[in-house]
Amino acid sequence: MEEPILQLQNLSVSFDTKNGEVEAVRDVSLSLKKGEILAIVGESGCGKTVMSQAVLKLLPKTSRIKQGRIIVDGEDITDYKEKEMRKLRGGVMSMVFQDPMTTLNPTIPIGKQITEAIVKHNKVSKEEAKKRGIEMLNLVGINREEEMFSLQPHFFSGGMRQRCVLAIALVSNPQILFADEATTALDVTVQAKILDLLLDIRNKTGISIVFISHDLGVVARIADRVAVMYAGKIVEIGTAEDILYNPRHPYVWGLMSALPALTKAGESLATIPGTPPIMLNPPPGDAFAIRNRYALAIDYEEMPPMYEVSPTHYVATWLMDEKAPKIKPPISLKRMEKE
Amino acid sequence: MNSKSMLIEKIVKRTLWFLLSMLLLSIVVFYFARLAPGDPLESYYGDAVESMTSPELDAARERLGLDGPIALQYVKWISNAVQGDFGMSLKYKMPALAVIAPLIGNTLVLGGTAYILVFVLATILALFCAMHEDTWIDRIICKVGTAAYYIPSFWLGVVLVLIFSINLGWLPSSGAYDIGKSDDLFNRIQHMILPLTVMILSHLWYYAYMIRNKLLDEIRKEYVLLAKSKGCTKSEVVLKHCFRNVAPTIVNIMAISIPHVLSGTFIAEAVFNYPGIGALSVTSAKYHDYNLLMLIVLITGVMVVSSSIIAQFINEAIDPRMKLTEVTAWKETPQTPLS
Repeated sequence: MEEPILQLQNLSVSFDTKNGEVEAVRDVSLSLKKGEILAIVGESGCGKTVMSQAVLKLLPKTSRIKQGRIIVDGEDITDYKEKEMRKLRGGVMSMVFQDPMTTLNPTIPIGKQITEAIVKHNKVSKEEAKKRGIEMLNLVGINREEEMFSLQPHFFSGGMRQRCVLAIALVSNPQILFADEATTALDVTVQAKILDLLLDIRNKTGISIVFISHDLGVVARIADRVAVMYAGKIVEIGTAEDILYNPRHPYVWGLMSALPALTKAGESLATIPGTPPIMLNPPPGDAFAIRNRYALAIDYEEMPPMYEVSPTHYVATWLMDEKAPKIKPPISLKRMEKE
Repeated sequence: MNSKSMLIEKIVKRTLWFLLSMLLLSIVVFYFARLAPGDPLESYYGDAVESMTSPELDAARERLGLDGPIALQYVKWISNAVQGDFGMSLKYKMPALAVIAPLIGNTLVLGGTAYILVFVLATILALFCAMHEDTWIDRIICKVGTAAYYIPSFWLGVVLVLIFSINLGWLPSSGAYDIGKSDDLFNRIQHMILPLTVMILSHLWYYAYMIRNKLLDEIRKEYVLLAKSKGCTKSEVVLKHCFRNVAPTIVNIMAISIPHVLSGTFIAEAVFNYPGIGALSVTSAKYHDYNLLMLIVLITGVMVVSSSIIAQFINEAIDPRMKLTEVTAWKETPQTPLS
């Protein structure tokens, strides 16, 4: 089997606050193959962003990697210090953020922001860097790229800015791209274009993408595999088909039934009652139990292990235990299969 | 509309604003100065006032332009002032301009040097603190700086004189130069060291802390994450990205701080008996020397208002978003629809 480009082994990340330890990511294990798009799905505050920023070590000093290993391209980077990380950032891994209006520096021309890192670290001459920068603008689909190269971000629309951010992230040919809610702040048509662009770039360059989103519709369009996170843990992971057509975790059922596309006209939109727990003192059992209609007594006491549904599909819920009652997913999910 | 005519329009507008604010300033100061209790004739004639008869007093008032309602006095004063005649100083019994002329240079040299040093040092200190945020060195600087800021400057001045002039005998304690050495640059610098030290110590941290906090605000912005994730070092991020965005704020702070630093000059002048308009303004207010006071206020006002206008121009040069012209120029060129 091919070596995965990124591997997380039992990764836990905590923040030390005045009120105690906040366990943002708990015991997450996953692997990302070359050229794969892995979507991380979950509500706000479930640890998606913390997990990805922990890999790039962009988190503030109050955070620490409590346990686990981060392995990038066969190399254990868990204990890398700032200096070593700098070589990886941009070159091996880079990141795109949610709001293109705030992720670009408003006073520096786009071109300079794209080429800044390669001029500094790859010892590329200014002309070469400019050529490369214009090439990148072309790659991310910006027209009149030579003219745009010297303009400040405020001349660009939101979608164009996100393309520029992509150009910045991709300029040194990284192997892994973290796209943290990269399309969330954009309107739907622009969103679709950016998704197509990401797919296109993946096909052209063979880059691996970790796509963080809370929008299952977007995930369905782009992802090869999907990991669903809840309260800092991965509760279900599998191929996009596994998760979208055969979800096993009640939390994923909840997310799916909340999709407007699966709701009949006249029916009110399904919601999951309650909010994700505050991770200051996480509950001992399955963190989702208190919001879970199908919760079993054991859910409140013990964390469920990962059950294998198929070789590609794993889920952490006691419902998969052989002693558990057999529960059918809610009817609304059947509509998904018909379509 | 071309940019040249817009520039002219802008200059005309700003000049009108400038004149209007000077007019308002002069009215307010003129009125309030005259409301203060006391008789200006006392400063002109000294104790002789007590032996003067009422007709003599009235005649004196008329001669000095101190008779009639305040509004009328003001009209008389302003019509002379626009012709360059600022009247007699009541205390010094010579034209107000002639009283000020030899002193204003001293104040400008002292104030200007202090001003530049304060901001250069404040910026360097702020950058240093921002780069070492929340480390022991940053904390020590913050505490020492705050303590230094709260030392009263007149007290500090006296202590410095005690140490360096009286005990050690290294530096002169008062004046701008020794008698007969007014052209000796070294001698002048020697005289400026103590006043400058007082002014810098009493202003430095106020501005350094402001700039430091502005920088820390910038460091928390998302574009810093993007810059880091493309491989920039912390100092690169602070110096190239954040500082550039804070620069307009620094220019603004510099512009509005002119009165603050100027008032600091006044205190330093008073403590070190430094011949400048600061010390003069205190005496002129004390002795109801209206004409002298008005002239000093106007000079100070011109400095303050023109500095804010200059700040606006510099801001536009640093951050083109503040410029109106460019945006309209951009709209005129035919556009392809931007995604």
